[in-house]
Amino acid sequence: MLINEIVIDDNNMGFIPSLGISYQLNETAKEIINLIKEGKSKDEIVQTIAKESGVDWREVHIDVEDFFQKIKIYGLI
Amino acid sequence: MKYQKPTINRVDFALASKYGSPLKSQKIKSSIDGVSVNELTKEYGSPLFVFSQRAIEEKYNELYEAFSSRYPDVQFWWSYKTNYLDAICQVFHNLGSKAEVVSEFEYQKARRLGIEGKDIIFNGPYKQKEFLKQAALEGAKIHIDHLYEINDLEDVADEIGQEIKVAIRCNMDTGIYPQWSRFGFNIDNGEAYEAIKRIYEGKKLILTGLHSHIGTFMLNANAYGQETKKLIELKNRVEEEFGYNIEYIDIGGGFASKSRLKGVYQAPEVIVPSADEYAEAITNAIFEHNKGNLPKLFLETGRALIDEAGYLLSSVFASKRMPDGKKSYIIDAGVNLLYTSFWYNFDIMLDKRYDGINEPSQINGPLCMNIDIIAENIMLPPLDRESVLTIWPAGAYSVTQAMQFIRYKPSIVLIDKESKAHLIKDADDLEYIVEKEHMPEVLK
Repeated sequence: MLINEIVIDDNNMGFIPSLGISYQLNETAKEIINLIKEGKSKDEIVQTIAKESGVDWREVHIDVEDFFQKIKIYGLI
Repeated sequence: MKYQKPTINRVDFALASKYGSPLKSQKIKSSIDGVSVNELTKEYGSPLFVFSQRAIEEKYNELYEAFSSRYPDVQFWWSYKTNYLDAICQVFHNLGSKAEVVSEFEYQKARRLGIEGKDIIFNGPYKQKEFLKQAALEGAKIHIDHLYEINDLEDVADEIGQEIKVAIRCNMDTGIYPQWSRFGFNIDNGEAYEAIKRIYEGKKLILTGLHSHIGTFMLNANAYGQETKKLIELKNRVEEEFGYNIEYIDIGGGFASKSRLKGVYQAPEVIVPSADEYAEAITNAIFEHNKGNLPKLFLETGRALIDEAGYLLSSVFASKRMPDGKKSYIIDAGVNLLYTSFWYNFDIMLDKRYDGINEPSQINGPLCMNIDIIAENIMLPPLDRESVLTIWPAGAYSVTQAMQFIRYKPSIVLIDKESKAHLIKDADDLEYIVEKEHMPEVLK
């Protein structure tokens, strides 16, 4: 998975060296990618983010689902 | 951890320009004339049409000043079809506008508001004889569209035992495309002259005016100069040949607003002529070509006066990710309320600044119809459910052309000059929708 290659700097700019493509992310996206790299499942990511942020997990679920769709479209997973 | 909806955008350096990154810019409108859009939707529901009396008056005064400072006798006639809400018409009537109507329904609406027949221009291609009779009896300014209408009016003149003052509507080549030629009589091929000759020979109607409406959303002020020149030349000729006294020329409407016509890539601020440019072209043509008495100058401006004073507030209901990666927002206002979205791109503004970077998005309405698209390509940050979007300009034709289709039509609010909101139309409800329906006994 290309997502494992992504390097994210302090400004939330992501870079995949083998593709030479850059991505702009926000804090939550960075957190999700780090959790993916740790091998967490989608459901585990939802639970983790919901717990850390205090946001209703059902809301987080919609956003994480949306995010996974987008990185799939980008060919990152 | 402060939660933000997760966003990731591939960096496309082609998107960057000297104007900055489209990934961060957000158009924000949190209030209209000092009234919070969130408060408005909370109190009156969403979607919600909102009109600004202040914006109407500013625009009216700007346009009226442009003409009246150049010409001695100018009269505005409020184009009812552009927006015939009672309160909106009343604002224009209070400012000095008379009424321009194109159907018996609009005529009756103007009369109901207390406008006298003599202060109504009755236009349009479809005027039934019974309503022509009412208009003639009440002294309305009837603008003839076709030869059958001359016959009908002559019958009415016989019936009421008096001559009727009329004007004819003319069309012509003014150098613009498409040329509006379906209404009235053509000046260039002599049809208008022949129609006037026919009126003269009938001896029951008296020609007192010449009218034309050359099109809508006219981006070329010179076209109005051409129109005025041809109307004035016709005036000169028929005054000389038939002894008519043409009291007025009516140059119609069609001045553009700051809406963005689809397919036009320049900003409205660049391509839409100013009030002064329109006024200069029209009044110069009169002074240059008129012989005899100066006619009164009538204008039926609609769109340019009301479009920018109208807003449609709509709330985000849900979102989803499209297979091509674009974000789709489902809002509670669709093409049922913005029929004009088939021709115009609107400014869509957010109620506040949202965290996160913009991503390619589209905005869909609530209708179960694939064509229900309000914005096909727009860069938006991650929006919440119930985020309030302000869609602008939505003052012209949106209310009159709004369809009761699938959903109820919404409430409408006018914000007065003291920033106080007034409900000027209730939202539809089931009782209102089914009021005129009948169930045959056999089906019960």
